[in-house]
Amino acid sequence: MRIKSGVLFFVVILSLLIVLPNLSFAQKEVKIGVILPLSGPLAPIGKSLKDGAELAADIVNKKYPGIGIPIAEWEGIPGLGGAKIKLVFSDSRGDPAWGAEQAKRLIEDEKVVGLLGAYQSAVTKTASVEAERAGIPFVNPDSTSPDLSKRGFKWFWRVTPHETWFTRDLFDFLDGLVAGKSPGVKAVPKSELEPLAVAVENTEWGAASLTEIEKFAKERGWKIAEGFKYPHKATDLTSESRRLTGSKAPTFLFASYVSDAILFVKAMKEMKATPKVVWGQNAGFIAPDFWKTLGGDVNGIVSRDVFAAVLGKVKPEADRINKIYKERSGFDFDGSSARDFIGVQVWAHALDKAKSTDPKVLQKALNELHIPGKELIMPWKGVKFGSPFPGDTNQNELGSGIIIQYQGYPDGKPEIVFPFEMATSKLIYPFPGWK
Amino acid sequence: MELAVQLIVYGILMGLVFALIALGLSLIFGVMNIVNFAHGEFMMVGMYIAYLLSTFLPLDPLLSLPFAAGAGYLLGVVSYRLLIHHILRGPMVAQLFGTFGLMLFLRYLAMYIFTPDVRSIKQGILVGKTLSMGWINVDASKVFSAGVCVLAFAAVYWMIYRTKLGRGLRATSIDSEAAKYMGIDTKGMNALAWGIGGATVALAGALLAHFYYVTPTVGMLFTLIAFATVALGGFGSIVGAFIAGILIGLIMVISGQFVSELKFSFIYAVYFLVVVFRPRGLFGW
Repeated sequence: MRIKSGVLFFVVILSLLIVLPNLSFAQKEVKIGVILPLSGPLAPIGKSLKDGAELAADIVNKKYPGIGIPIAEWEGIPGLGGAKIKLVFSDSRGDPAWGAEQAKRLIEDEKVVGLLGAYQSAVTKTASVEAERAGIPFVNPDSTSPDLSKRGFKWFWRVTPHETWFTRDLFDFLDGLVAGKSPGVKAVPKSELEPLAVAVENTEWGAASLTEIEKFAKERGWKIAEGFKYPHKATDLTSESRRLTGSKAPTFLFASYVSDAILFVKAMKEMKATPKVVWGQNAGFIAPDFWKTLGGDVNGIVSRDVFAAVLGKVKPEADRINKIYKERSGFDFDGSSARDFIGVQVWAHALDKAKSTDPKVLQKALNELHIPGKELIMPWKGVKFGSPFPGDTNQNELGSGIIIQYQGYPDGKPEIVFPFEMATSKLIYPFPGWK
Repeated sequence: MELAVQLIVYGILMGLVFALIALGLSLIFGVMNIVNFAHGEFMMVGMYIAYLLSTFLPLDPLLSLPFAAGAGYLLGVVSYRLLIHHILRGPMVAQLFGTFGLMLFLRYLAMYIFTPDVRSIKQGILVGKTLSMGWINVDASKVFSAGVCVLAFAAVYWMIYRTKLGRGLRATSIDSEAAKYMGIDTKGMNALAWGIGGATVALAGALLAHFYYVTPTVGMLFTLIAFATVALGGFGSIVGAFIAGILIGLIMVISGQFVSELKFSFIYAVYFLVVVFRPRGLFGW
């Protein structure tokens, strides 16, 4: 009898030892799988994305007094009894097939609660299919191909605005100039900005940019004088630049990688072109080599972007977080790393709201999530998933891009000129020309 | 009319630079029947010399031209003596891979030293200056470059057709064995061809650096055009390279005006037609 009760006692203790950790500590750590290009040509970007995500996780897990956003006051996820976020990173190698493999591995072997990533649209596309199949939430903060949110997926939420959005920003900017909304700039007659001339590189991205621009121009009633594709990484863009200047259009729009962007600016300077607005679709027009190479010739050029360090002027909390980021990584936040920061923030709020790691409950929490703009380091109105453009599902409706303008180069910095209410400096209008 | 004049001027100016880039490739092939895949990288070296001298000394980029040409000459001769001379004993494939290896070596050496960053020359008498002539605004350095290209062609032409050294080169090019029996130092002639090839293309690079960007992979873009130019003009022909360069410049600028996305297709279409109907090129033997 005594032996029996001894055995019983032993079994009870053993069971408790096995079960207890799962009861009391199960909620102490929540694993989120993060798929990023951590090797290969995109490794430097991948590293900055990882730094952004890690900083956000750290701010959620530890108290950071004085930053001014709620997650900085947390010590772990409040809704999960203070459980810490643990990011499990996995290298996509920039390869869609390998990225999908990693998603599968994170879900099946690492038993992650959800996924985050994967920067390149092509990798996000395949990796999110695995999440959809397994019924595990995939939060995508950093891929901009419009198609991703048009697949009707139930387990995929995109936080960043997509390309369609950025093109709409361009037309909001142009319409805003006409309406006199740009601070300190008198209303510009539409005839002064019309027609538009568009040159895009002959790639999938360039072609998509041209299509989007043509679509919005038609919708908003803007005439296009010239719209053409050119072979990217060209040896010479003289005739293409001549075509733009010859069109007499006052507004030049480009989708180019950095070497072509440089050639265009040089050729337009050579031809003494006098456009009123020169706009670049991100990429080459925001690459450091662009302004380093061209120096003062970039002054007055505007480009779409998603984040600029100067944002701290109008968003003090962004400035405070950027400072910590810079201390850790040595760089300012850029559009990509800042968006991966927000990706983790979205996960933290969703987990807090769900108060559970059950996928179904998380799905509901993400669908109903609303983070107000003042809590974000981006110049957005917030995060709320819906269908901002036809066909979109679970796409953040409250995001937006920014438009920066190069001012005061070679020693200047990009200033925000759109959204108009976020402007950090008066828009230089008209384009000052090349001296 | 205005458009036509502009396109012709831009086409010729660009074409002359293409011609000078192709000259060395044509010469080396003409003399030794070997294709130098590293030709664009020789040009890249010329560009970096102009960039470095004008940025760090700082010397006006115009004054860097003789340095670039000299360095190109040395690079050509050294490449011949250390590499090409040896691989000539191997099969054709070894020669192809040999210069291909040289291309990769130079490109990635530049990548290691200079990083892949894109740079450009910012200071110089002609840099960023525009000449306005009636309907046309044109970069002063492009006009100057075109002038230097014509002079360089004239000099190489004179050397090959009017000097004893040139006769030696031509003899080696026509029949290397026979030339050797006649007492011509064919190895010396080969080295000379590589030297001139390196000097002209590095000079073209230094000129190009006035108005183009500099990066370790820049040679790749121009090598393909140079191959088409040489094939179009005729392998080994100096006049051919000159005319074909201008033709390619014109085709590129004119097609760029009307169907930009197809401009390279046009260049290769013309090349294809020439190869089909006149396989030795316009001026080839």
